Amino acid sequence: MNWKFSTADELLARVSESGLGFADYLVARDAFYSGRTVDEVRAEVAHRIRVSRAALDRGTAEPQVSFSGMTRGGAVLLGASTGWPVDDEFFRMALTYALAINEVNACGGRIIAFPTAGSCGIVPGVLWAWRDARASDLGPESIAFQDAFIMASAVGILIAARATLAGAAGGCQAECGAAGAMAAAGLATLLGADAATALDAAALSLKNSLGLACDPVAGLVEVPCTKRNAFLAANAITAVSLSRAGIRSVIPFDEVVGAMKSIGDAMPASVRESAEGGLAKTATGMSFWEKIR
Amino acid sequence: MAEGSVGILDIFGPVMIGPSSSHTAGVARIAFLARKLFPYPVEKARVTFYGSLARTYRGHGSDKAAVAGLLGILPDDERLSYSLELARKEGLPVEIVPEYEGPERYHPNTAVVELWGGGKYSRVRGASIGGGKIRLQSVNGFEADLDGSLEAILVLHHDEVGVIAIVSHILAASRFNIASVVSHRKDKGDEALLVVEVDGAVPASIVAQLRDLPPVREVVYVPSLRS
Repeated sequence: MNWKFSTADELLARVSESGLGFADYLVARDAFYSGRTVDEVRAEVAHRIRVSRAALDRGTAEPQVSFSGMTRGGAVLLGASTGWPVDDEFFRMALTYALAINEVNACGGRIIAFPTAGSCGIVPGVLWAWRDARASDLGPESIAFQDAFIMASAVGILIAARATLAGAAGGCQAECGAAGAMAAAGLATLLGADAATALDAAALSLKNSLGLACDPVAGLVEVPCTKRNAFLAANAITAVSLSRAGIRSVIPFDEVVGAMKSIGDAMPASVRESAEGGLAKTATGMSFWEKIR
Repeated sequence: MAEGSVGILDIFGPVMIGPSSSHTAGVARIAFLARKLFPYPVEKARVTFYGSLARTYRGHGSDKAAVAGLLGILPDDERLSYSLELARKEGLPVEIVPEYEGPERYHPNTAVVELWGGGKYSRVRGASIGGGKIRLQSVNGFEADLDGSLEAILVLHHDEVGVIAIVSHILAASRFNIASVVSHRKDKGDEALLVVEVDGAVPASIVAQLRDLPPVREVVYVPSLRS
């Protein structure tokens, strides 16, 4: 079995040669590299999905207040809001959940990085919202739900292979931007898209976050990170909405990842997680340095 | 994790206590390994943060993460968030020192862990390189490069002919597959450090056998972070 790929085209070819389904090929590949059985890999995926749910439940139930004071229970406010301009249960839940999970992270709670801690709310926020609003039969044990998380992970693997998932290397396009693309692919999969179509939905989302700066206030994984989790959840939902209408990305996924890499390389160090530019250097942003000493 | 073998559980993970994979999870792992490398009871510890860690450690809970690691608590364990109280209860004094400017050669996210106990001293320098991944770059004055992904045996020995061959032989005779062997020495004929990474947990009997070899002064076994 050939486990090597670095592009979406290669991955789809490997899957096709393997005779396995898309997610099963990736599970078998993880099993091969880690020395686990495929059942153990599936069980670990289920465990991690449960961890994401525990964070979500915590962030929506208890107002999260951080050491710096920049995070103050936003997800609880959002969940209770009656002022939604778009009053759809799935949409409301997706934004609320994504924010909730990332607020738990900002406050030192237990989360699962996906792909990073600062972007950990986006994929589980969107996928759990779909489950809660529209597909209550799904759960950590269901293969269809696991396969959506695995599809999202595949997008992360492809971005890591040819660009980066580190804000310090590629700006926030590499963290929340990547997570938005991953969430789009995961949601498309839940809605029945094949792998190629899900990857195209990921391309649509990723294109709309190219060039995002990573300029965290006081160097903390908090502002703009936590709220950006809600924004990128919406980005992913928009991408899947377009994709379901048959709209395709003019630039294919692999080329979008290449563009992301070249943009990341061109970004100044001041907006690559150094806290020396952008929002971090605003007057209000600067004032938080003193507060956290 | 070798280049090109990034899998779904590398992207969907790790499970960790927030907020930062590099400033929280990575720091806990560095301190955890530093503690594992020191086979004595710890009476006192000092953790020095450099660069970005020095500037942001309070907001990121890097101090709690470091103390947690010293107590054997890994990044996914909720006890990390109240590790400072646990250390007080266990009577482990830990000093946290922020150094805003580190030596040029240090990675921008570096932690140095110093441990005292049983009349012994150890100093380990680790870099948190992103996504919770780490590298131990210096162990008791020796340059090293361990990422915690494999079991490792550190053999401190007098620099003489044949040590690598004997160590390899002992491991091979017990059917251990050696993933890498790196030798570091201070000066020719002086002390040298052999770092052997192997697949699979090494039993104490093998470590004892290595320790009994005449040129060997010390053997430290570092379990992988996965085990």
